[in-house]
Amino acid sequence: MRECFSFDPEYINMNHGSYGSLPSPVAEAIKPYYALAEANPDLFHRFTSIDLIRNVRERMAKFIGAAHAEEVVFVPNASHGLNTILRDFTWNEGDIICSCNTSYKSISTTAQYISDIPPHPENAQFSILFPTSHTKIIQDWRAYLQSLNETRAQSARELGRRPKIVAIIDSIISVPGALLPWKEMVKICKEEDVWSVVDGAHSIGQEPDLNLAEADPDFWVTNCHKWLYAKRSCALLYVPKRNQHIIKASFPTSHAYISPEKRDVLNFVEQFEWNGTIDFVPYISASCALDFRAWLGGEHVINAYCHRIALEGGKRLAQILGTEIIDEGQDFQFTLNMVNVAVPFPPTMSSDFEIDMAFRRKLLIKKKIYPAFFYHNGKWWTRCSAQVWSQVEDFEFLGEAILEACKEIVREFGDGSEEKAIREIGKEVENLTLKI
Amino acid sequence: MTSPNSLETLTLDQVLKPNSLFQQSAPKFGHDFLKYYSFKAGFLNLNNGSFGALPKVVTEACTELTAWQEENTDYFFRIGFIPPLIGVREQLAKFVGASDVDEIVMVANTSTGMGVVLRNFLWKSGDIIIRCNTTYATVYKTIQYIHDTTPGVQISEFQLLFPTTRKAVLKGWQKHIDNVKLNAPKGSKIVAIVDSIVANPGASMPWKEMVKICKDAGIWAIVDGAHSVGQEPLDLKTSGADFFVSSAHKWLNAKRGCAFLWIPKKSRDIMLTTIPTSASYVSPGPDRPETNIVSQFQYNGTIDYTPYLSVDYAFKWREWVGGEAAIHKYCNRLAREGGKVLARVMDTNVMDPDGEFTLAMVNVVLPIAKDLSAVYDASIATALTNKLLAQNLFAVTFYHRELWWTRVSAQIWNDLSDFEILGNALVSICSEIVAEHKNANIPQNSKAQSFNSYLERPFKGAVAHDYNKGLGYPQPVTATTVVPVGYHTHLASIRP
Repeated sequence: MRECFSFDPEYINMNHGSYGSLPSPVAEAIKPYYALAEANPDLFHRFTSIDLIRNVRERMAKFIGAAHAEEVVFVPNASHGLNTILRDFTWNEGDIICSCNTSYKSISTTAQYISDIPPHPENAQFSILFPTSHTKIIQDWRAYLQSLNETRAQSARELGRRPKIVAIIDSIISVPGALLPWKEMVKICKEEDVWSVVDGAHSIGQEPDLNLAEADPDFWVTNCHKWLYAKRSCALLYVPKRNQHIIKASFPTSHAYISPEKRDVLNFVEQFEWNGTIDFVPYISASCALDFRAWLGGEHVINAYCHRIALEGGKRLAQILGTEIIDEGQDFQFTLNMVNVAVPFPPTMSSDFEIDMAFRRKLLIKKKIYPAFFYHNGKWWTRCSAQVWSQVEDFEFLGEAILEACKEIVREFGDGSEEKAIREIGKEVENLTLKI
Repeated sequence: MTSPNSLETLTLDQVLKPNSLFQQSAPKFGHDFLKYYSFKAGFLNLNNGSFGALPKVVTEACTELTAWQEENTDYFFRIGFIPPLIGVREQLAKFVGASDVDEIVMVANTSTGMGVVLRNFLWKSGDIIIRCNTTYATVYKTIQYIHDTTPGVQISEFQLLFPTTRKAVLKGWQKHIDNVKLNAPKGSKIVAIVDSIVANPGASMPWKEMVKICKDAGIWAIVDGAHSVGQEPLDLKTSGADFFVSSAHKWLNAKRGCAFLWIPKKSRDIMLTTIPTSASYVSPGPDRPETNIVSQFQYNGTIDYTPYLSVDYAFKWREWVGGEAAIHKYCNRLAREGGKVLARVMDTNVMDPDGEFTLAMVNVVLPIAKDLSAVYDASIATALTNKLLAQNLFAVTFYHRELWWTRVSAQIWNDLSDFEILGNALVSICSEIVAEHKNANIPQNSKAQSFNSYLERPFKGAVAHDYNKGLGYPQPVTATTVVPVGYHTHLASIRP
């Protein structure tokens, strides 16, 4: 399988989830489009690419189960799509924008920015702490939205109008790499009169049998250049017809923008067809990627393999490290093609970012193997992506490499027990001082 | 390419092989240069201005850059891309006369750069945005969007009407600014968009003087310099502008999807966030580092960095072909002489005979009957585009002041005979259009008083073009019926 990808032969790619990988056959398949773009730039950009992308959009719409092709447009990446949605809401005092502690960092900062500028909607945060379960998350989510609704009711009384609540929900969290019960969470949003904006960055090509018309989120975004093998950068923005009036403008604003009072037709698709000159071939590549995946055996075959390797590999890795998989107590209900295994550090280990940098040096550079590392709920974890080129042996090699790296890191950074002791002493001194 | 053996990072000179072409001496400008580009044989490209054209050597460098990216994506996106990106920004900073590398950030295109600046201002009721009738459509509509979404924001539109003189433009601009200032509510901010080089018509403006008029009046001046870099020398630190954006993929030979935004230190406080907001965003306040916006622009969502990094090789290409001065000299002379040839062949006139507004683009009236030019007609715009492409050549056509025009780009692969060919093609195309229009069933909402009033509400459906699944050339408009085929045909009439 590695023959189909253009990795450095010495490099074991265990982090497909972050940036995706472009298969060589897809890179080949899009060469003619690049040739067209240069053969006659005007023909390509005024006609050819528009027609081609129109066709690809229809194919993608079917693939994700949208009711209409006009509900799906291309954007450069999920962050861009999510920013378009969040910025197009008209924010008012009293509104609440709700993300999670596990939201992708740039989405948290987007919510922070929106709350930083007038009229300063409230920036609320739902908490998910692993280990947990789908059942617990659903329970907590309902309770959380109900509490937000109480806040809203209070604001409504004070303001004399009813504010809105916009919730950003991951379909699959990035770190940890975990499938959420997002469809149930979307349902609860509807029950609680909360807008559901789904960050599905990792979904397409990893979560099989997407059916957005059925799941019916208010907005949904996914990256085709992650698990679908499209060229960077390529993502989909899904907005069901009922919500397209919320999307007043693309970013950048298109020539096709029409002022709301003059707009008597939905021009959602038109606004996203041209937003300045870019390399349009990545959007076309999504279709070539689907062809490649069909040749590999299709979505179910690909994901069955990746899922199996994720579980087997994860178990083997946990065995070697002497630790655990994050959701082994919940029957791996959070695991699709990414598996999260605890790193064998002492429990006092610091959460310092420098430790992530140390893993980079020791694994990415020195051993040419690299999964993602992250600190969550008091522990360091590693997130491994299983792909069609992955084998359980990779996890074994990784396990040995991590064991060695951990020993070195504890030597270099200390095991955090000293800092913890100092903090405890500090607290005691504070208490004594207060008493006096 | 060798894999990284240390956290020591690589420069582009280490990543990219030197091209053996640079050992040879470059040919003279003109058709001898065609072999270094990838145009389909026989395609006459007289429209560098819209989409640029990637020289083959830069295409090859881009292939290597993409391969490097794919070898080890974690290395590339966490470590590898950063020094080369800074290197490109340093090169650009020097090239455009910025004071410091941190004044230059990369964006996908000018529309994005202009959009992110305009959307970072915290708009309030009473604020005024000054645009021109000739402001590029995406910027024009961004201003419209801001007006529509912020109650009380006013738009003041300056009418830039060609033909004119630089003196008249400056006089009119001064008067307009004075008037806006006089009537502006107290405490409001006023922001003006100045095009360094207008798109339609293709006209180099006295933009530094226009910026000075703005600054003397205490208003913000954001310069849309989309066409500037590579077409005119720049010294931004002496320009007085508050922001400047330019597309490197137009006249600087970079890969499409590459532009820069100049944010002088005095303007940094306006720029709170990139769009999309970066993970490195810090809320305004004492904890926010001064260069936070620069960090934000370094990474704000996964993209293909190849277009940005291609600037390095684009500079090498331009050095090899003869350098900036030689390129400008050739293109400017060709634009002027070519315009005269066109006017002769079409028996019309050049918009700017004295050449006050002419760098590498020239505008000439089209021989279309006056009664067809009385109002803007999108079907004519599309027909012109279709018919030009059907004849295997292209220049932009546009409507301005009740006349149809062509805007022609002069590039180092063009020579005077190209203008002769274009002229003859346009003569036959225009007479075809005039004849067909008589019997065509043009939809009523294809027409509008002016291009700008049409732009308020571009609509679905216009003029037919047959297409062979987009992979062949469109067929000419048929004589007797006009069939709406879809919105995208309008793009031909709107994008310059």
